[in-house]
Amino acid sequence: MKVSFFETARYRAPQDLPAEWPVPSGVYDPETGAQAYQDMIERLQFVEELGFDWVSVSEHHYSPRILTPSPMVSASYIAARLQKIRIALLGPIVPQSNPVRVAEELAMLDTLAQGRLVVGLLRGTTNEYLTYDLNPAEARERTDEGMELILKAWTEPQPFGWQGRHFQYRTVSIWPRPLQQPHPPTYALGVSRESCEFAARNRIGCGVSYGPFEAVGKATRYYREQCARHGWEPSPDQIVYRANMALGETDDDAHALLRQQPDRAPFALRPGVRDAFMKLDARNIAGEARAPLRSGALPTTFIGGPDTIIEQIRRCRDEVGAGVLDLSLLPPGWGDRDLLMRKLELFGTKVLPRIRDI
Amino acid sequence: MTFSEGHVEADGVRIRVMEAGQGTPLVHLHGAGGPRVTRAHELLAAHFRVVAFEMPGFGQSPENTRTRTMSELAATMARATEQLGLDPFNVMGTSFGAKTALWLALQAPARVLALVLESPAAIRPSGSELPSGPPEEMARRLFAHPERLGAIPMPDPAVQAKTRPLVQRLRGPDRDAELERRLPGLTAPTLVLFGTRDAVIPPTMGHFYKELISGSHLTFVYDAGHAIGAERPEAFTEVVVDFLERHEAFVISRTPTVIHP
Repeated sequence: MKVSFFETARYRAPQDLPAEWPVPSGVYDPETGAQAYQDMIERLQFVEELGFDWVSVSEHHYSPRILTPSPMVSASYIAARLQKIRIALLGPIVPQSNPVRVAEELAMLDTLAQGRLVVGLLRGTTNEYLTYDLNPAEARERTDEGMELILKAWTEPQPFGWQGRHFQYRTVSIWPRPLQQPHPPTYALGVSRESCEFAARNRIGCGVSYGPFEAVGKATRYYREQCARHGWEPSPDQIVYRANMALGETDDDAHALLRQQPDRAPFALRPGVRDAFMKLDARNIAGEARAPLRSGALPTTFIGGPDTIIEQIRRCRDEVGAGVLDLSLLPPGWGDRDLLMRKLELFGTKVLPRIRDI
Repeated sequence: MTFSEGHVEADGVRIRVMEAGQGTPLVHLHGAGGPRVTRAHELLAAHFRVVAFEMPGFGQSPENTRTRTMSELAATMARATEQLGLDPFNVMGTSFGAKTALWLALQAPARVLALVLESPAAIRPSGSELPSGPPEEMARRLFAHPERLGAIPMPDPAVQAKTRPLVQRLRGPDRDAELERRLPGLTAPTLVLFGTRDAVIPPTMGHFYKELISGSHLTFVYDAGHAIGAERPEAFTEVVVDFLERHEAFVISRTPTVIHP
């Protein structure tokens, strides 16, 4: 089992924040933000020392919860400050980006990072549709087309034109191409039927997140079936599972930690927006409809002391098929800096060495 | 789209009304320069029953020496809407008229569906003067690009002289404590628009409305001056229509981006 640490830059607001998304920019404190990014590097140096395989970053906007609106910038900075660890960019929100630009930046980043880049491509969470005015009715097909164009831009040796549904280019011929050939390890992120099918068709990995083993296992099972249909079999490394973990010295300790954590989404959409999204956005798990928005906090699927956690990871390997875990050890923006450092140390010393053969 | 003209009686005065379109009523309360039917009114009339009032003392109406406060003017306009049987309706207020619209929405919350404030003059930097001067000077104050607009009908100097005391009396202080105290209680969904090149009210006033009116929305119309609807009617109308149709869910884009099906 490989392990990735999900880095969110952990902005800890000096004052209470409005509970609504988007959070007004005016309440951002620049000094606190600067400190958060400094702490991030210190934390990631420790993560690297502990032997984590990847550090992952994501793209989220207009909220202090995850302070990485540009994953390209966060990944570049992290890549420059750390030596060995792989940088997993999970991922650029494809439907609201210029896919050619994404392909160029990722290729450049992979080259700058000396081939340490891992890429996840995704549609993005529903609230992100509001960031750059993405029409929910088009999000899925813009994602699929954009992802395909990114792969094409990386691999097509001759200048080409693209006559898409949503994107059109007369000339594409990117420089540099990625250092890792034909391209960095790449995942389609999402549990939807469309995302799994895209990954299978294009022989790339599949990334699932947060759901219980049973739900995400349904998606990875569907992905593997589709891969078989396309005549290939993914390696365990090609299934990544992002999850929350509450790790304690003991099981009681872990449950106590979980009880302290917020059980509500910290920055909710306004009711009228939420209701509209429930009608306009369609989501599914391997074809089975699910609500586009959750009502509470994201679930925590690994809970316990080291022995219990190791048992759960073993079960995850069997039921989800994941060969890479992308973990949050505390909710973004919750808990102090030192608590997270202690959790990292506990994981790095008591869990990590014992899951390598899973 | 042609606007038909009619009149309505309210508080003992005869009020001129310009009307076009069908559907949910959209009441327009004009700025200090008086009523003017612009391209934006025509575009809006494709979606709503647009009812543009000439408020007492403005335009062709006789001098108004009776109305003492903005809140009184709003009450008169509310009665005019009742006389026309508009219930419920949307309200759009421009500049000076945006303050009338705010008072109207506060006085008749159950009747107002939503509120659009175009370059509102209800909150101003201290020492704000009413724009005045010869037509060329007024055009430069009201529009970012008067040269693009061709002939701009400017108010008659006699009309300006008639309305100036009324505007001075009713517009209230730059920061109106009584109004601002009441704004947090405003329940109508509210959209505030400013042109990025407004030379009458600085667009930086926009955030005060956001702060005071819970759940309100602020939109900047790029490269427009104070008279947004006259200067960038398509950009103005698109967001206003979308907001009036969907209220806060208008933040979710429904613009298609398909190039080739």
